[in-house]
Amino acid sequence: MNAGSREIWRQGLWDNNPGLVQLLGLCPLLAVTGTAVNGLGLGLATLFVLVISNLAVSVMRGMIRPEIRIPVFVLVIATLVTVVDLVMQAWFSSLSQTLGIFIPLIVTNCTILGRAEAFASRRPAGDALMDGLAQGTGFAAVLIVLGAGREIIGHGTLMADAHLLLGDWARALEITFLPQQTGLLLAVLPPGAFIGLGLMVAARNRIVRRRAERTEAAMQSRAQAA
Amino acid sequence: MLKTLSTLGLIGLLAAALLSGVHLATRDRIASEQQRQALATLNQLVPESEYDNQLIEDRFNASISGLAAPSTIYRARMDDEPVALLADVTTADGYSGDIRLLVALATDGEVIGVRVLEHRETPGLGDQIELKRSDWIRQFDGKSLGEPPAQAWAADRRGGAFDTLSSATITSSAVTEAVKNVLAWYSANRDNAFGITAEPRNTSNAKSGDTGNP
Repeated sequence: MNAGSREIWRQGLWDNNPGLVQLLGLCPLLAVTGTAVNGLGLGLATLFVLVISNLAVSVMRGMIRPEIRIPVFVLVIATLVTVVDLVMQAWFSSLSQTLGIFIPLIVTNCTILGRAEAFASRRPAGDALMDGLAQGTGFAAVLIVLGAGREIIGHGTLMADAHLLLGDWARALEITFLPQQTGLLLAVLPPGAFIGLGLMVAARNRIVRRRAERTEAAMQSRAQAA
Repeated sequence: MLKTLSTLGLIGLLAAALLSGVHLATRDRIASEQQRQALATLNQLVPESEYDNQLIEDRFNASISGLAAPSTIYRARMDDEPVALLADVTTADGYSGDIRLLVALATDGEVIGVRVLEHRETPGLGDQIELKRSDWIRQFDGKSLGEPPAQAWAADRRGGAFDTLSSATITSSAVTEAVKNVLAWYSANRDNAFGITAEPRNTSNAKSGDTGNP
């Protein structure tokens, strides 16, 4: 992996994570993260659309004048989401049953338009593809962690209903931490989504600040030694 | 300016062409998948071995008092003899929005079973009406309008004979009332419920395969 693509991955997963730093796509992010499996499902669907839309926008970037770029991007994204939705209904109908409500939500995800505008419309196709993968993975990771946290606290389980997404073998993935009915309901309800995301953003900020302080301290001690 | 417009138009046309192509390619498969799923739902309550007619086609729309219209009634028959009746009904009395239920009745008016198809009740409280979360919904099995008597068809928190989910009285009542309404409709229409001619699909089913926009 060369330095350029390593930087793209760093941006997507940590430095410029769509969920934790850009705070984009919050509507689907907060709405569906009641369980880890829901988070994983929306994460995968978003990743897929983001990769293809980045690629399409990058390929078309030469022929689009700046005045019409936003309508074109929106058209491309809406078309792709509809295609994904129809294909899933036809060939993966059980998956589409679980994810059905999330797929149209992807259109409302500003991350996708944001990446088309900020990255894919200025870079060659290879970079745009990589950026789609990196940003999509970063977004999916936030969805899964938030979903898992809310599920453990709210329902006392982890990966419940995984078979709806991954097939029958995945029933074995379910872990129960708490006996039935003892979860904290707040975590599953909408406020839990906001509080959970807030805590995740705070945790990330703390790590970033710690690191910055440590680097600064190291530089100071080096300066003193010299 | 003209060039810009024609670019936009061209991309719009391309998108439209792509979408119609995908729609044509997937239309039949989506319709048959939806049919298969609808049938699988019905088979939860009346297994395939108990009837020999085209269950999914043997349907008509009814308006049942107390329930959001229209309800879809499916009829299961064996050798042209009535076996069971399945009502796909929606009640608007849920705690947060509609609850869609499937109620299966034997020909004598006894409840074979009830399942929740769609709901948006509170997670952890009202969602106990789902079979995968609790056995609450099974309490209707084998009951009928008379056993218990009609006035006892209510949640016990409201003076009826049926168990109330804790902290979900409204949800419990909505489901109990809906089952009762189906039973009342059946007892009034018992003589002709199996005689009404079947209606073609997609009069009530909003998700039928013909709509291009999901």
